[in-house]
Amino acid sequence: MTDLKVKEIARLAYARPAIKRGYANQTLYVNLSDSKISIKPVSEKMKETFVGGKGFDLWLLWNAVNKDTKWNSPENALCIACGPLGGTTIYPGSGKSIVTSISPTTGSVMDSNVGGFFGPYLKFSGFDAFEVQGKTGAPTVIFIDGINQQVQILEVTGLPQGAHEVTEVLTNHFGQGKPRNISVVSTGPGAKHSLIGLLNFSWYDPKRSRPRLKQAGRGGLGTVFADKGLKAIVARWESVTLALNDPADEEALKKVAKLHSQEILEQDPKQNQMSMVGTAHLVTIMNDYDLLPTHNFRYGQHPQAPEVGMEVYRPLFDKGFDGCWMGCSLACSHGVKDFAPTTGPHAGRKVFVDGPEYETIAGCGSNHGIFDPLHIIEMNFYCDNYGVDSISVGTSIAFAMECFEMGLINKTHTGGMDLSFGNKASALEILHQMARGEGFGKVVGQGVRKMKEIFSKEYGADRAVMEDIGMEAKGLEFSEYMPKESLAQQGGYGLALKGPQHDEAWLIFLDMVHNFLPTFEQKAEALHWFPLWRTWFGLCGLCKLPWNDVVPADNKQTKEPAKVIQHVDWYTQYFNAVTGKSLTPVDLIFMSEKVYNFQRLLCLKLGFGRREHDAIPYRAMGPVTVEEYESRADRYDKQLKEVHAVDIGGMGTAEKVKTLRKLREQKYEQLKDAVYERRGWSKDGIPTLDTVRRLGIDLPEVLDVLKAHGVA
Amino acid sequence: MMVLVEGREFCWREGLTVADLLEELGDPYPYAVVRINDTVISGPDFATAAVPRGSEVFLIPLIAGG
Repeated sequence: MTDLKVKEIARLAYARPAIKRGYANQTLYVNLSDSKISIKPVSEKMKETFVGGKGFDLWLLWNAVNKDTKWNSPENALCIACGPLGGTTIYPGSGKSIVTSISPTTGSVMDSNVGGFFGPYLKFSGFDAFEVQGKTGAPTVIFIDGINQQVQILEVTGLPQGAHEVTEVLTNHFGQGKPRNISVVSTGPGAKHSLIGLLNFSWYDPKRSRPRLKQAGRGGLGTVFADKGLKAIVARWESVTLALNDPADEEALKKVAKLHSQEILEQDPKQNQMSMVGTAHLVTIMNDYDLLPTHNFRYGQHPQAPEVGMEVYRPLFDKGFDGCWMGCSLACSHGVKDFAPTTGPHAGRKVFVDGPEYETIAGCGSNHGIFDPLHIIEMNFYCDNYGVDSISVGTSIAFAMECFEMGLINKTHTGGMDLSFGNKASALEILHQMARGEGFGKVVGQGVRKMKEIFSKEYGADRAVMEDIGMEAKGLEFSEYMPKESLAQQGGYGLALKGPQHDEAWLIFLDMVHNFLPTFEQKAEALHWFPLWRTWFGLCGLCKLPWNDVVPADNKQTKEPAKVIQHVDWYTQYFNAVTGKSLTPVDLIFMSEKVYNFQRLLCLKLGFGRREHDAIPYRAMGPVTVEEYESRADRYDKQLKEVHAVDIGGMGTAEKVKTLRKLREQKYEQLKDAVYERRGWSKDGIPTLDTVRRLGIDLPEVLDVLKAHGVA
Repeated sequence: MMVLVEGREFCWREGLTVADLLEELGDPYPYAVVRINDTVISGPDFATAAVPRGSEVFLIPLIAGG
């Protein structure tokens, strides 16, 4: 039993407002430097412009930071918000939180969405969003107690280190015998010692009598959290009902929710079986289409991939309800019970592992040349426990492994570790070192961009080669899809506001497999609509998976099946039923467009958000090495001859690599032009004055930023 | 001798492949993936993947990524 010592530093008692049409109409502010707690009102204008969720986060962040603010500046704010639809108990996927801050790896705006109970509990406690600024040297827990209507800043000593243990201890401490009333946001020791820390958000699993964890993984948000001196943020709320969110038309909400839930129950078992295997179904599919990153994105396929596929994980997942929010019929948060790690502080103990999902399987498995399902589960467990992002860990270790194999680094740099692809012991050791802030693991925990700098400046490694093979853009590590053969997905990664995460646009199948986007204009249209539509989920507190990971039986007969228009219509009805508005699907896109452009402008305010920042490494576009080219020589030769009309007779492979590279890099720049035009941005990737005015985000402070960057 | 395709019976024959089945169904939708019982078959393998007798075939309508 952990002996906690809790000392109150500050307290704010408040009168909890009733939720009106999905909004609490106020946000919570905490400053750790001066122990200040206050409440800010939410205006109608704020709702109209920013909607909620990520929109509210970005507005709070904009006002918190200035052009010189860095990730570890005291004024950098970490913001967490739900959204007007968040907390609905009958519509699938309605419990998301969105976290934003300035990222340690990109220096710019980061956003990450996550399940768990925190966002809804925060809102029902009376706050649409939470914002924390400042820093403290004391181990601090912020306790938002919606039941007793008070917020406390607490100094808590005696907390354990690992995220699972912290969550369990705080759930028991604050739950007062009702653990389901608690959601904990925490990180782990790896967040403090790396730049790729994540945040774990808990939800209580009554069947298994334990808190479960979901991750806001991308961009080092856990590192910001740890740097502020935070150990945890805890929200406490009691029972949740449909009426609690005050939907304007409860009957309409029930009707549309039933349609979507029923469809999932009927169709998911016939389609992707997310409710049984989560995203693990993607592993072999990606492999079959040469899209599964292996060996640091060198290749998209490996004969051993089925060894870490859905059929292997299906029996390992513990059976039972796995919804990270109440009432979700998709319920895809699967986990492994009684897993015994072989290394590290939990070696030999039985633990529950939340996951693995596709990204972790690819990132910490195939991309390392490792096809051992139990090793991937162990990596998954320790990434969560240590509070580090399994995608960034995966892509960063993959990069280090390739540098080792290429001789750019050697055992003198790695502390004697053999970092050859496939070395499971080394991959785990790097992770443990990362958590302790020791050895080569600490270097890898800086992420790919910083590693390139360290390897070249301190180890004398060839910078140009590393720029080609280091899979990061804007400073964020790529998520785990191979974009080489899909120009649209190269844009999906490179033109994403925060960096190469697939949650803005996943166009690989549309573009590469089905060839539905043959022209630049079609690609640009897709890179306009899909990011905006996906942004909308983050404004409302929703999960995107029920939108297109299970679709109506007759979806294939619609004009644009990829948009799943039936679901877009249902989401419109859902939004109207909660808020009382009368919007159309086109209006929803317009809502997102405002926030999307505002985020780009916030990037600009911080010194990013221009064309140069949308660059991607050549490994994301095509074969860097002769070996890569020759592994798919038929494909590349055919493209050179038939698509580009190049006479390759007499050309050696090195010359073909060079020629193909020039052509593909040109195409990526043409794509940028087409997308910027469609989005209403200048050639430099900045929203124009006309765009800003059309969207109604021509606020004085926005115009000042544009003027400072030569747009007037 | 039948297989179930999307819940409907379809005549099975020795050597029936996924590609044969899709062609004979006459469904113009460009399926990229099908599932036979619990095994996923992707487009590149349609021409060689056999449909076992008595199996249940699901035509996966969309692959949407993470």
